[in-house]
Amino acid sequence: MLIELKNTTRLYGTVIGVNDVSLSLATGAHGLLGPTGAGKTTLLNLITGQLSPTIGTVRVLGLKPRSSAELLRRIGYLPGTEGMYADVSAIEWVTYLTRIQGFNASDAKRLALQALERVQLVEHMHRKISTYSRGMRQRARLAQAIAHEPDFLILDEPFSGLDPIARHSMSVLLQQWIAEGRSLLVSSHVLYEIESLTRSFLLLSGGRLLASGSADEIHTLLTDVPSEVRLRVDKPRQMAAELLRDELVDSVRITDDGELKVTTTMSSQLGRFISRAVTEERYLVTEVRADDDSLQDVFNSLMKIHRGVA
Amino acid sequence: MNTIGRIPAVFMFEWRRALTIPRLAWMAALMAFPPILSIFIRTTAEQERLPPVEVAAIFVYVLSPCVACMMGVFLWATPALSTELEGRSWVYLAVRPHGPISVMLGKYLVAVSWTIPVGIVSATLAVVALGADQMVRMILAECGLVVLSCVSYSAVFLLIGVIAPKRAMVLGIIYAIVFEMALALVPAAVNLLTVQYRLRCLLVRWMNMDVEMVENNPVFSEYFGDESAVWHVDALLAMTVFYLAATAALLHYREFTSASETDT
Repeated sequence: MLIELKNTTRLYGTVIGVNDVSLSLATGAHGLLGPTGAGKTTLLNLITGQLSPTIGTVRVLGLKPRSSAELLRRIGYLPGTEGMYADVSAIEWVTYLTRIQGFNASDAKRLALQALERVQLVEHMHRKISTYSRGMRQRARLAQAIAHEPDFLILDEPFSGLDPIARHSMSVLLQQWIAEGRSLLVSSHVLYEIESLTRSFLLLSGGRLLASGSADEIHTLLTDVPSEVRLRVDKPRQMAAELLRDELVDSVRITDDGELKVTTTMSSQLGRFISRAVTEERYLVTEVRADDDSLQDVFNSLMKIHRGVA
Repeated sequence: MNTIGRIPAVFMFEWRRALTIPRLAWMAALMAFPPILSIFIRTTAEQERLPPVEVAAIFVYVLSPCVACMMGVFLWATPALSTELEGRSWVYLAVRPHGPISVMLGKYLVAVSWTIPVGIVSATLAVVALGADQMVRMILAECGLVVLSCVSYSAVFLLIGVIAPKRAMVLGIIYAIVFEMALALVPAAVNLLTVQYRLRCLLVRWMNMDVEMVENNPVFSEYFGDESAVWHVDALLAMTVFYLAATAALLHYREFTSASETDT
């Protein structure tokens, strides 16, 4: 088991960072999603042993993370904050951190060089970090996390502040990492950044775990959640009345440009109704669009449920 | 590789980082002020009279092992943790096996190794500038006190920095003024806990300053102690080990994540 949390709660005084989270993750790649302030970094701090749970237990690779030298040898961590020394070069910095990881000077230098090659920073590795662009700094930070060849890489908002090209190269690097069969946990508040890496997600909000599992499993959680459907139809008012009469929708709205927006918990019945209406030529339907297909909408729906909006 | 094995890496890395013009200028200033002050006193005093040995020894002791060394290690050791926390670089060290303790002990050695040469040069030049009798003996005594001062004060300030990283410098100054300057001069049991007391006692013994009078006088006995020099050296080393062990224990058990690292 990669990560195992049992009723884990972390308090900062009276503020709850992580609230009664229980989960089990198998080895592989996982995305940790949630808005800013959701408790993602607290959860990662618990997983990397920087914090102890106030209540409950945390196990990573079968070990208790707090002060576990054995575990720290096996994980690589890219924190959400930069915190690099501006007055040293990337090769000096990565070599230094690899030495503290426990390697002798020559091995540390060799591993640092390999990692910098991997993140394509060799050309600039002798320049001071203060001269680097945001993307270069991010690559150097990734290099320090992978230099000691960990089994499990933990990344906190790795795409934050990167331009599209840097995002793409970061994605490619992480895809390569996953393709090598290594484990990865990557946090973000932007879903599409993680969608390209994994289909296994943890959704966190307000310190609580809203959902976990594959994209499909999360979709099934939403069967009772109203989904939104948009229709372009020649007689929207008449259709809206018919849908309400047949109790196929929870709400209807006709937009200024004549689009009919409905929310329903009976998507399949609604689908059959539209199909029948078109076949019987009662309505001229030119477009049917369900907004809740993308994972971002699943995420949004879960957030709405959590906030008591849906 | 264990904690000890990682310390040289930290030591060398921090030493290289420290070779900057501002740091070197600051160290040069610390190194220069005791001899400059000595030259000033020597030139303003009557030309023919050399200062008494005791006066010269105490003067150099106050300027070099006390002020220069204490200030030197204060600036190095006290912010050792807080600079990492404020710079958000602590997290990279905290997720390494034995990282926090290795880094703090490495920084401790850097503080000691930077300040000892400063103290030795400043004390030697100050003694020479004063031109008192027993110059060699005084240089050796002052240099010994410099080494012990740097070793023990570094440990004290490192511990203070780990106890309260957000207020490390303020607490360090308070400690220096209240304990090492005020309480160390109080002839009571409390001064036994100060570094200053031990250094003062060692100065008296190593310079052979009226030891008989001191040992027969109950007030001076409280002030300079009646133990041997070896005892005081042992006491200082024991205090140093204790402070470093306390620092290591705090680093092991306390959580040092800065607020900005958490998104709650």
